[in-house]
Amino acid sequence: MELSKSIIQGWQAIHVSGQVDSKTVAELREFIDTKLDEGLPVALDMEGVPFMSSAGLRTLLILHRRTQDMGVLLALVGIASEIADTMKVTGFYDYFTIHPNLESLPPA
Amino acid sequence: MIRSLTDRIDSLPTDEIGGFKVRPGKPLPFGVCHAPNGLNFSIYTSAGTACTLVLFRRGEAQPFAELPFPTNYRIGDVFCMVVFGLDDEDLEYGYRIDGPFDPAAGHRFDSTKVLMDPYARQIAGRDVWGEEPDWQGTYPYRARVSFDDFDWEGEGPLEIAPENLVIYEAHVRGFTRSESSGCKHPGTYAALVEKIPYLKELGVNAIELMPIYEFDEFENSRLHPDTGQRLYNFWGYSTVGFFAPKAGYAATGRFGMQVDEFKQLIKSLHKAGIEVILDVVFNHTAEGNDQGPTLSFKGLDNKTYYMLTPQGYYFNFSGTGNTLNCNNPVVRSLVLDCLRYWASEYHIDGFRFDLASILGRDPWGAPLSNPPLLESLAFDPILSSCKLIAEAWDAGGLYQVGSFPAFGRWGEWNGKYRDCARRYLKGDDGMVGELAQRVQGSPDLYRHSGRSPATSVNFITCHDGFTLADLVSFNGKHNEANGESNRDGGDDNHSWNCGAEGWSDDPGILTLRKRQMMNAMAILLTSRGIPMILMGDEFGRSQHGNNNAYCLDSAISWVDWGLLESNADLYRVVKALIHFRKEHLALRVNNFDGIPNEHLPCCSFHGNQPWQPDWSDQSRQLAWMMAAREPNNPLSTDIVYVATNMAHYASWFTLPDPPPTYQWHLCFNTGDQNQPVHHDQPVFEDSGLLLGERSVVILTASIVP
Repeated sequence: MELSKSIIQGWQAIHVSGQVDSKTVAELREFIDTKLDEGLPVALDMEGVPFMSSAGLRTLLILHRRTQDMGVLLALVGIASEIADTMKVTGFYDYFTIHPNLESLPPA
Repeated sequence: MIRSLTDRIDSLPTDEIGGFKVRPGKPLPFGVCHAPNGLNFSIYTSAGTACTLVLFRRGEAQPFAELPFPTNYRIGDVFCMVVFGLDDEDLEYGYRIDGPFDPAAGHRFDSTKVLMDPYARQIAGRDVWGEEPDWQGTYPYRARVSFDDFDWEGEGPLEIAPENLVIYEAHVRGFTRSESSGCKHPGTYAALVEKIPYLKELGVNAIELMPIYEFDEFENSRLHPDTGQRLYNFWGYSTVGFFAPKAGYAATGRFGMQVDEFKQLIKSLHKAGIEVILDVVFNHTAEGNDQGPTLSFKGLDNKTYYMLTPQGYYFNFSGTGNTLNCNNPVVRSLVLDCLRYWASEYHIDGFRFDLASILGRDPWGAPLSNPPLLESLAFDPILSSCKLIAEAWDAGGLYQVGSFPAFGRWGEWNGKYRDCARRYLKGDDGMVGELAQRVQGSPDLYRHSGRSPATSVNFITCHDGFTLADLVSFNGKHNEANGESNRDGGDDNHSWNCGAEGWSDDPGILTLRKRQMMNAMAILLTSRGIPMILMGDEFGRSQHGNNNAYCLDSAISWVDWGLLESNADLYRVVKALIHFRKEHLALRVNNFDGIPNEHLPCCSFHGNQPWQPDWSDQSRQLAWMMAAREPNNPLSTDIVYVATNMAHYASWFTLPDPPPTYQWHLCFNTGDQNQPVHHDQPVFEDSGLLLGERSVVILTASIVP
C-alpha cells in the first residue's frame, strides 16, 4: 500500500493506493494518526483502492469519529463502485460525504 | 516490542505454545472474544480429555497452527486461552477434542475432526448461496471472529404491544430472489431492505423471518430423480450455528460482512416501524443421527447436547435425525446465551420457536409440566420485552396448542385457528361455534390459564402448507417437484379448489377464488389476537399446489412480484384491511372480558337476525360485533360489525341497532366485485343487507356528526 498527502483546495488529501484489508490497515491507521494536521478538512482519496475489507471499512469509521472530534469535515473521494455498494448494504455509506473525484471537491 | 508501563499486566502473554504467545484465558463468555492485544478462546467439554485450538487463515485447507491447551488452562470443564498477535479478520478457528469413542456410552469423540465452536458468531464455508462446496474439505463450517461494533445510532427494539402486531412471514431468499422483485441483490438481506417501502405501504409492522441462523443449503441436497433439478435445504430448518447469521443470504457474504448487512437490515426495518421476529430452530441440529456428520456438538460433548436412547442412539422427536437436549442445564444455558445475544447484539424483537414442544421434554423425552428452559426464557431479564412465540407441537406427537407451558409470557402459533378458519371458509358443517371462539382470540384455549387474546398468533396460511391462492385452487397437494413422488407434505389441508383443480380460465371459478382469498383475509384481520400473513398471499402467490416447498430454490418458492399488478384488486383489499385493523381498537382488545360499553358487550355474535346467531351444524352464517371504548375519549366507542356468509346462496342479515347517536358505515363487501373496499365509508341507512354467496361485509358505527 502506498500513502501520501497533499493539500488540494484547502483540503488535506490522503492518497491511498492498494488494497485496504487487515494486513495493510495498520499502515493507514498509523498514517492517519501521525500525519493529519489539525484544523484542515480531510479528503481520503481512494481512487487507487480496488478493494476494502471489513477491517478497512471500520478504519473509515474510526477516521470519521476522529474528524468529528477535530471538528473538521471528512470526504471520501473516488470510491470504486463495488466498495460503495458494499458500504451501502452494510450501512457504512450513510456516514460519509462522497465525491466522485478530487476535481469535484468544493473549496474548503 | 517495548510496552508502555501503563499497559495492564493481563495484556501481556505469560507462555508460548508452538511459537504463539498465550496466557490462560477466561472461561466466560464462551466462544471467542477480544481481549487486550489478543483473542480469548473458551470451549466446554465435560467428557473430553484434552483440547487443541486449530487456527486457519481464511479459506485455507490446512491450519497454520495447532495449539494444545496446557492442563492449567482448564477450569472445570472449560478450556480457555488468550492468544496474542492473531489477525482477527483473516482467522478461522476450530477445536480438536480427545476423548473416548464409545457410542453405547454416549461418547463420539474423534480427534481427527476439526470441530466448529458452537458459539461461533460468524461462520464461513457457505459464503455464497448455492456455490458448490468442496466436499473433501476437512473443516466445512468455519468459525470466525465477529466485531460486534455496529453503530445503531440510537435505534432499538420497537416493543410494539403484541395485540397491535400484524406479522408478515417471509423467507429471505424466496421473498426477493425472482427477477421480478427488481432488487439489485436478489435473495439477500440487502434486497429485503429495498422492499421495506413496500412492507410499510402494505401496513405490516412485524416481519417473521424463516431461519437465518447459518445453515447449509446443501444438507441432504440431491438431484430430482426425474427432472435432474438440484434440490436444496431451502427453508433452512437445520441449524449449523446458532449465533451466526446465514452468510449466503448476504450480498456481502463473500467478504464476510453478513453480520453488518443483517444488522443494517434490522436497523432499517426498525426505522420503518417494523419489528423483526426470528424463526429459531433449537429442537435439532444439522449433525443428523449416528450416520450424520460430526461438525460440532457431536464431537464436543455428544452426551450433553443430544437426547440419546439407553443404547446411545439419537431420539428423533424432530423428525430430522436428532433432538437437542434442551433441558440439560448446559444446553439450556446455550439457548439462553444465544437468544440474549440476538436480542442485545442484533436488537431482535421476538422469536418464534420451531417445534417448541420439544423444548419442554426432559432428557429422556418425557414432557415436563414445568420445563425449566421455557421458564428461564419467560423470566429472563434481557428477553423481557421480546415476543416469545411457540410452534406448540413437535414431530414426536406432542400437541400443545392451548396447553403450552406459557408462564404468562409465551404466545402460540394457533394451529386450531388455521384449521377452523379454513373449514369455515370452504363451507364445512358445524364450524360456526368454533369460529366464534377463534375470532375472539380463542378463549376456549387460553382464558382458563389466564392468558389473553394476543397469546394467539392467528393465521390461515404459513410457509408450511398451501399458500392462500393454492388453498382456494387445489383440493390436494401436488408435490412432485420435491422428488418424493408426492408422498411428502401434509394431507389435512382443508382446502377447496372452487370447482377445478389448479389452473383454470373459467371466469366464475376465478372470481370465486379471489373472493375466497378476500374472505380469508377479512376474517383473519378482524379476529382478535395477532394476525400473521404469509409473504405474497396479499397478491395471490401460488406454489402450483406444492404444500411443502422446503427443498425448492426455484420459481415455485420465489415470490412472483408480477402478481402484485395482476392481482392488484386483492392487494388493495388486503392493504385496506390491515389499515382498517390499525384504525379500530375494537379488533385489538387484548382482554377476554373487555370493558363493556353501556350499550354493547365487548364482543357479541349475530346471525341473520341481530343477537341471534345460528349455532346449528348447518349454519354457514356468523356475524360478530366488536366494541371498545376509546381510552382518550370515554364517551366514544369503537364498533366494528363483521358479517360472514359461507353458504353457496345469498343471505339476509338484519343489522343490530347501533347505540343512540351512532350510525353504520359500510367499509368492505367482498361480494361486490366492482368495489370490495369503500374508502369513503358511506353511511349505511338500511336496516340490513343481503350478503352474497360466500362473502364478508364489514361495517363500523360512529357518532352522527
